[in-house]
Amino acid sequence: MTNAIEIDAVTRHFGRVHALDNISFTVPEHSIVGLLGRNGAGKTTVMSIMAGQDRPTSGHVRVAGHDPFEHAATLAQISYVRDNQRYPDDYRLHHVVRIAPDFAPHWSEDIATELVEGFRIPAKTPIKKMSRGQLSSVAIVLGLASRAPVTLLDEPYLGLDVTGRAFFHRVLLRDYGEHPRTVVFSTHLIDESASLFDRVVIMDAGRLVLDANSDEASESAWVMSGATNAVTQLIGTANVLSTSTVGGLMSATGSGELDTETRALADDLRVHINRASLQQLVAAYGADRAASDTIDEDRRA
Amino acid sequence: MFTGEIPIYQQLADRVAEDILAGTYPEETSVPSTNEYAVFYEISPITAAKGVNLLVEQGVLYKKRGVGMFVSPGAQEKLRARRRAQFAERHISPLVREARLLHIDRTELDDLISQEDSK
Amino acid sequence: MSTVIPTTKLHLNKREVTFVVPLYITALVAVVSVLISFLFWRAGSIPGTAGWVSGSQSNPGILYSLAGFLVYLGVQSVATTFPFALTLGATRRGFAGGTVLWAVLVSAYLAVVFAVLMTIEVQTGHWFSDFYVFDVYVLGAGDLGRLLPIVFLGTLSMLTIGGVFGGAWVRFGARGPQFIGVGVGLLLVLALIVLIPSAEDILAAFQLWWLAVAAVIVIALSSLGTWRLLRTAIVR
Repeated sequence: MTNAIEIDAVTRHFGRVHALDNISFTVPEHSIVGLLGRNGAGKTTVMSIMAGQDRPTSGHVRVAGHDPFEHAATLAQISYVRDNQRYPDDYRLHHVVRIAPDFAPHWSEDIATELVEGFRIPAKTPIKKMSRGQLSSVAIVLGLASRAPVTLLDEPYLGLDVTGRAFFHRVLLRDYGEHPRTVVFSTHLIDESASLFDRVVIMDAGRLVLDANSDEASESAWVMSGATNAVTQLIGTANVLSTSTVGGLMSATGSGELDTETRALADDLRVHINRASLQQLVAAYGADRAASDTIDEDRRA
Repeated sequence: MFTGEIPIYQQLADRVAEDILAGTYPEETSVPSTNEYAVFYEISPITAAKGVNLLVEQGVLYKKRGVGMFVSPGAQEKLRARRRAQFAERHISPLVREARLLHIDRTELDDLISQEDSK
Repeated sequence: MSTVIPTTKLHLNKREVTFVVPLYITALVAVVSVLISFLFWRAGSIPGTAGWVSGSQSNPGILYSLAGFLVYLGVQSVATTFPFALTLGATRRGFAGGTVLWAVLVSAYLAVVFAVLMTIEVQTGHWFSDFYVFDVYVLGAGDLGRLLPIVFLGTLSMLTIGGVFGGAWVRFGARGPQFIGVGVGLLLVLALIVLIPSAEDILAAFQLWWLAVAAVIVIALSSLGTWRLLRTAIVR
């Protein structure tokens, strides 16, 4: 399978801030990829670089086989609306849908109309005065109606109601079926979107922590819960990402295969082992540092 | 719509298999396309294809070029055999484990099963 | 595949602001000019006399009132349109080129509109009542050969100067336009320090085409500067 996007040893510094720290991963053509992680993990930065709106401090990026920066033919294959997109002064919906086709060679008027009606985007409200959900809807219109071979969706759900989210899923999947494309999609609503992803890329604090098929990602991840001393005994050698303790109870999230011995011991100690959901796994990768930070602060105090 | 312990493609395959067993899709009729499954269950089309292909590998579905996926002749029989093989592991062992935990002995368990069966 | 023409279309997307608002402003200036003329008339000035004509023709209101709007138009053409243009898939180069092309179109449009209005003004005996709005000194005092380059180059200068300030804002944030303002101010003062000793000779030799050359230089520098600024600008 060819790769739609290749990120190779990409680092991005903003002054002293290391937004991205030597990141490498690839996105196979026609896959739907979830780009996950906490706020500030570097999701928007990596998307901006994929979209040719920003350049890495070092490293390389290729989209459809070409560096997208300042390359018009590649940029025409990409659709990317950032979560805090700015629009020109006095813009309304009709301005957006009138100009977008001039830049998007595969633009579909039908999809645009269907989305505008489905989301009930008001025609007369200036974009500056739109609610968060309405702004997300406009971004989804641009993202899906472009039918761009590489579609980057940055937090497409922000402020969308439950009906809107289901509608977005339906249109995305239906139109993907008719016009397959590569979709990279960042979100915090992981439980809701996990079933859409073929692959997941998890980032934390500017680094890549997981890049895997979604089945494999959570297949090897687990959550143990039970009495604190029992869980502590069990996780001895396992790869633990995060733990939380309440009263005498403890839960630990980790990844890696657990051998039958451990599982048998868990049964004896009455510790439950469940497969971690993608959301639990992402939370665990994010919690890792946060938890140790808290411990440091405690020590200092 | 799909959640939990089992991979999504597996859950889709199970769901389709169940529909075939229940007679929703008789043998030699077509089942929905991969894309239709993807939209209906809000899952990635690649995952949906993986689930459908699992049933193709098992000989439950077959592909007619340019037309779609069809239920193979003898699919029901095949599925029934598979499910029978899994019956003890999937249903009997949890039942027995729970019964032990609740101190339900064999006679009581047999009675409960007879009661349920006669409903 | 170039993104120059799509960028020009992106700017023209806001038809009202580009084509109609300048006319509103012009109409407003015309009304104010007429009111001022009335004031003079009531104060005892007699329409048609030499004093009346030279007084009316000295009114540069049309220049000042449009200048403010055109600079704003230039600023927003970069400041708020650039992030959206990148999102649509414009290259920085394409955006800079398309923005200049748009500015040329707007300048040509205003030059033609002013030429037509000035011709009507002169042909109708200054709107049948000696009101001077377009037949004024700053616009060439009724000479089409002067009015066309004045309006065209004047508008283009305003738009591109606005553009470079917008570019500085996109590139450096609020400090950008301040730096450019201070920088240009310093350059002007330096130029004055150098030139002041020979100021009299220069003024005596002054030719109108010098202004045109200066405008062309300003336009070229601003356009290049905008592109340089946008080349490294990041949208966040």
